[in-house]
Amino acid sequence: MIIAPAHPILATGAASAGAIAPPAIRAAGLSRRIGDRTVLSDVNLCIQPGEFVALLGANGAGKSTLLKVLATLATGVTGALALFGRPVRGRAAAARARIGMIGHQLMLYRDLTALENLVFFGRLYGVAHVRQRATALLDFVSLADRADEPVRTLSRGMAQRVAIARSLMHDPDLLLTDEPFTGLDYHSARRLEDCLTDLHAGGRTIILATHDLDQVLRLAQRVVVLCSGRITLDRPTAGLDAELVAAAMGGMGLEGGAA
Amino acid sequence: MTEVAHILQLVAKDLQIEARSRQTIGLIVVLGVLIVVVLGLGLGAGGPVEGMRATAILWVAYLFGGVLCFEKTMAVEAHDGALAGLMLAPVDRGSIYLGKLLANLALMLAMALVVTPVGVVMFRFDLSVAPAGFIVVMALSMIGFAAVGTLFAAAVTSSRLQGGLLAVLVFPLCLPLVIASTQQMLGMFEEGRALAGPGLGLLIAFDIIFIAASWLVFEALLEP
Repeated sequence: MIIAPAHPILATGAASAGAIAPPAIRAAGLSRRIGDRTVLSDVNLCIQPGEFVALLGANGAGKSTLLKVLATLATGVTGALALFGRPVRGRAAAARARIGMIGHQLMLYRDLTALENLVFFGRLYGVAHVRQRATALLDFVSLADRADEPVRTLSRGMAQRVAIARSLMHDPDLLLTDEPFTGLDYHSARRLEDCLTDLHAGGRTIILATHDLDQVLRLAQRVVVLCSGRITLDRPTAGLDAELVAAAMGGMGLEGGAA
Repeated sequence: MTEVAHILQLVAKDLQIEARSRQTIGLIVVLGVLIVVVLGLGLGAGGPVEGMRATAILWVAYLFGGVLCFEKTMAVEAHDGALAGLMLAPVDRGSIYLGKLLANLALMLAMALVVTPVGVVMFRFDLSVAPAGFIVVMALSMIGFAAVGTLFAAAVTSSRLQGGLLAVLVFPLCLPLVIASTQQMLGMFEEGRALAGPGLGLLIAFDIIFIAASWLVFEALLEP
């Protein structure tokens, strides 16, 4: 079931596509080594369009690496990766045009204003009516009144909202979020949660890397647990409990702990 | 055509950031002027300095100012993971390199426009002997230097090595450029030779080879 998005700017064609769509992500045997260390090992993953998947794992488990690989940003990766039915190899730039990413880093230029940042990135993606789109997104993240202020003058929460707007400038079908709640206060975190819920309702495929199990249970439909670069658990969130996740993480605890 | 537009957008972004922060241009101009003044005083200011020495001193100023410029413009990308945002966009990595190279060249040109007249006045360096030749040789040299510096600045930033390493990597590679450039200047200003010969060919070849090679390897070097 697809819930209607709360904001018109979040509406996307993917939600209403009637035909059988290829998987948003199909990864087969993805591995990555950095020096002598294996950071990702034989990852097999199939994620359908419109799914909200949480990625859990201890620090160093490989969550950020997997997101970087899915975003086509990592080098030295072996295995096969297809996004929306098309292999990424040899056409990474085209694949990136359908990906948005929010990380614990802002991926913004501090000396440019919020609006200038969005317009700059929008132009790189070839967004039509880029200024109107940027203005609408700043309105969506409730920062229209701060549009002309340099990002360095904004609070962490506000800057993160600009980063969310940046990731949505080109209306991506796949949103990769790497611990986006880092450094946010309670209200900003809840606002971001609402935003992710709305984006999911708009039909986007979302992958959220986090440490918070309560958050996973609130937001995601499916959970994938990584331990030492391997997938150790892949199942729906319904009926998920903390012990199961902890066991999949090799006995490590998690934030939250709701059963 | 799209890639040309991307390159222009990247240059405009870097110059816009610089116009707002003025972090790079102020530093490199001050550093360049200081080098010229200090070395000039060390050589005994007041009297004319022979062309060879004058151009060598200017080169020292350009080299150190340039390295600082490359570090600062790449630091903008490293801060807050901006480089990752850039790399996520459907932009050819070679275009990112060229955009950065052109922005660096613009800043180095701005530095040269201040530092060179200071050197000319301080050393009583008679530029009227071959003004066009001086501009051509310096322009070709700066393009080659910026080509190498931009590439290695990206490599140093991506590999999280210390910034001070950049000079150690770039200076030896640019040695042929400095020697060829200085020889050309010597020929023009002290021996009255016209701008030509194998030295000029070396400068042009250096520029072409390093820009082409950097375009090709830039993708492998970059990782956010």
